[in-house]
Amino acid sequence: MEGGIVEGGQAEQQTQPVERLNQAVQQQLNLESVKTRAISLFKAVSRILDEFDAIARANSLPKWQDVLSQFSMVNLELYNIVEDIKKVSKAFVVHPKNVNAQNATILPVMLSSKLLPEMEMDDNAKREQLLHGMHNLQLLSQIDKLKTRIDMIGAACESAEKVIADTRKAYFGTRQGPSLLPTLDKVQAAKIQEQESLLRSAVNQGEGLRIPGEQRQITSALPMHLVDVLNVGESSQTFSDGSGMYTKNNPTFSSNNITSQGNLIQASGSQLIGRTAASPGATGSTSFDNTTSPLPYANSPRSGANILNTPSPQQPSQLQQQQQRQKMMQLPQHQQQLLAQQQFRQSSVPGIGQNQLVQLHDLQGQAQQKFQSMHSQHQMQFSQPLGSQQFQSRQLPSGSIQHGLGQSQLNQGNQLNRHLNQFSSPANSALFNAAQSTPNTQMISNMSGMMPSQSLLPRMQQYGLSSGSRSLASQNLSDQMFNLGATNPGSMMPLQQQQQQQQHVSQGTFGNMAANAQNMQPGIVPLQNTQQNHPNYQQQRQQNQ
Amino acid sequence: MECVVQGIIETQHVEALEILLQGLCGVHRKSLKIHELCLKSGPNLGTSPSEVRLLCDLEQSEPAWRVRHVGGAMRGAGAEQISVNVRTMVESKVSNNVLRLFYALGYKLDHEQLRVGFSFNFQRGAQMTVTVSSVNKMLRLHATDEAVPITPGIQLVEVTAPATSENYSKVAAAMSSFCEYLAPLLHLSKPGVSTGVVPTAAAAAASLMSDGGGTTL
Repeated sequence: MEGGIVEGGQAEQQTQPVERLNQAVQQQLNLESVKTRAISLFKAVSRILDEFDAIARANSLPKWQDVLSQFSMVNLELYNIVEDIKKVSKAFVVHPKNVNAQNATILPVMLSSKLLPEMEMDDNAKREQLLHGMHNLQLLSQIDKLKTRIDMIGAACESAEKVIADTRKAYFGTRQGPSLLPTLDKVQAAKIQEQESLLRSAVNQGEGLRIPGEQRQITSALPMHLVDVLNVGESSQTFSDGSGMYTKNNPTFSSNNITSQGNLIQASGSQLIGRTAASPGATGSTSFDNTTSPLPYANSPRSGANILNTPSPQQPSQLQQQQQRQKMMQLPQHQQQLLAQQQFRQSSVPGIGQNQLVQLHDLQGQAQQKFQSMHSQHQMQFSQPLGSQQFQSRQLPSGSIQHGLGQSQLNQGNQLNRHLNQFSSPANSALFNAAQSTPNTQMISNMSGMMPSQSLLPRMQQYGLSSGSRSLASQNLSDQMFNLGATNPGSMMPLQQQQQQQQHVSQGTFGNMAANAQNMQPGIVPLQNTQQNHPNYQQQRQQNQ
Repeated sequence: MECVVQGIIETQHVEALEILLQGLCGVHRKSLKIHELCLKSGPNLGTSPSEVRLLCDLEQSEPAWRVRHVGGAMRGAGAEQISVNVRTMVESKVSNNVLRLFYALGYKLDHEQLRVGFSFNFQRGAQMTVTVSSVNKMLRLHATDEAVPITPGIQLVEVTAPATSENYSKVAAAMSSFCEYLAPLLHLSKPGVSTGVVPTAAAAAASLMSDGGGTTL
């Protein structure tokens, strides 16, 4: 059947030798020879079959040697023909060697010479449309007519395109009056070229947009869409291993964040919590292992690499304000510093002295400020205006340095800041240890010092810190301290509670705290009420303020 | 996948371009203000750094975040014959803690920019989006309110159209034919190939801005 088609094709080729196939000549020769050979083979096979027939009728034994030789000859001839056909018929037919999964479904369609019914209908319809009125003519003339039709259409398209292009050019040409194309002078063109390359490289590769590492600090208020998203601790800077722990733990806690500045604190708190949980013993131990605190020494090398300016401890308020301003925007470098400083700070608890008291006072102030800033942020305001207010109220010095906070202030600032996480982690770890063992004065005072910062943290961060009405600051502190270690992390400490604590902190002395430490047990009960006060914390906060 | 071309236009002609686009596209312009953060992966995430872009649409009342990964452009003899850039692109909407997620994964901020402008989204042989925007940089990290244009006198025009590997040639053709209409004002080319400004831009802009009668020069 394919042979028939091939022959038909060949016949058509002979009538129109150059029309159909480009390499038709060669293939024509092959086809003819293949045809001849096929016919001769056919004749040979039929002759052999006749011989067999005669032998069978005569009932005589065939001469096997003759039969085999004839068979081999036929076999060889067939093989040669098939090879030739394969070469030729690739263009025409399908010659599958085997049927496998790939071609099983398509083989019937490909091997059939009849078109699918839809295709056939389509074909007929198109042919009808094309040869309308030409059926009576010969094939050649039909083809000629079709060709002329095609040429006409092509010419029409080209002229139409040309007309459109000309019109377009003319439109803009005539609009501008005299048909002088304005040319850019070289200087202008060069400038534009330079600007263009600048723009393109900036857009595509980011050239010229990269801020060097030391300038990568979030120094101004974050825009609205980043306030909720970007934790101050999650900048792009490389973290030290301590900060690395931060980021590791962040996602686990971030799900609870609400869109407010509280989120930032929460996230940071979660960091701290996670950090604490990761190695409560370690942080706790380190916090207590340190010896004398370097806090009084503003420029001491222990304060960390990034502290450029260390204001004297006598001016804590100013620095604290600065710190607060930057709390939301501090980079992990600062976090690291803060962590280190926190630890320093904790270690300094045993050596409670005037400095710490001052710091505590500062903490209170800072906490309040922080509270204000947080409050504002809750109202979706940028902290910057508040910061400025705070600055005014606190008489901040001009030229605040972003980094340059004294160690002591950094610690303080940290505590108040969203780096509450940092704070809370040591604090939490401390509390944790405290809860597990007998609380000592140092821890309590430390924790109370931490309280203001923790108070700023959003709810979830504080393990057991529940906000609630607290009668005594000391009571609250002790309660908090207890809860940090013991209660479930789910309880949140409303800000109001922290406020109370802050106020208490300012009043409290270490002796007070020590006394409160004893009250830890009784303090548990009131603590649990705090959670219920969650929704009202804002009110309470305001009251406290 | 997407087909993309870029071009530049002087800021003074942007209004004329808007008029032309309004006429060509038949849709209303959409204002655009996008904060684009480009994050690069750290060394802990594979041997070769990958880049991801976070786009925050600030135009809405609620910032809408999208993440976008752009792959390399198609290369080869076939690609050179096409006048547009065909490249893989994956884009998705994300929630607003995507930045935190990527930071947690180890990505770091490489650079950021703010694009302010307008865009037209229409169908003309293929679904296309034309964006005309001024690309601004922020002097301080994330300070989008204080962004200044990188090139004050020049704005970026970008035409993009989503495509698949089967129909990208058609989409590219549709895009090229559309870009021809913008020829009097600007030339569009593959990103990275600079074009310069068109000398007829001023005249074309003038004619577009005028009320349609007479010569304006």
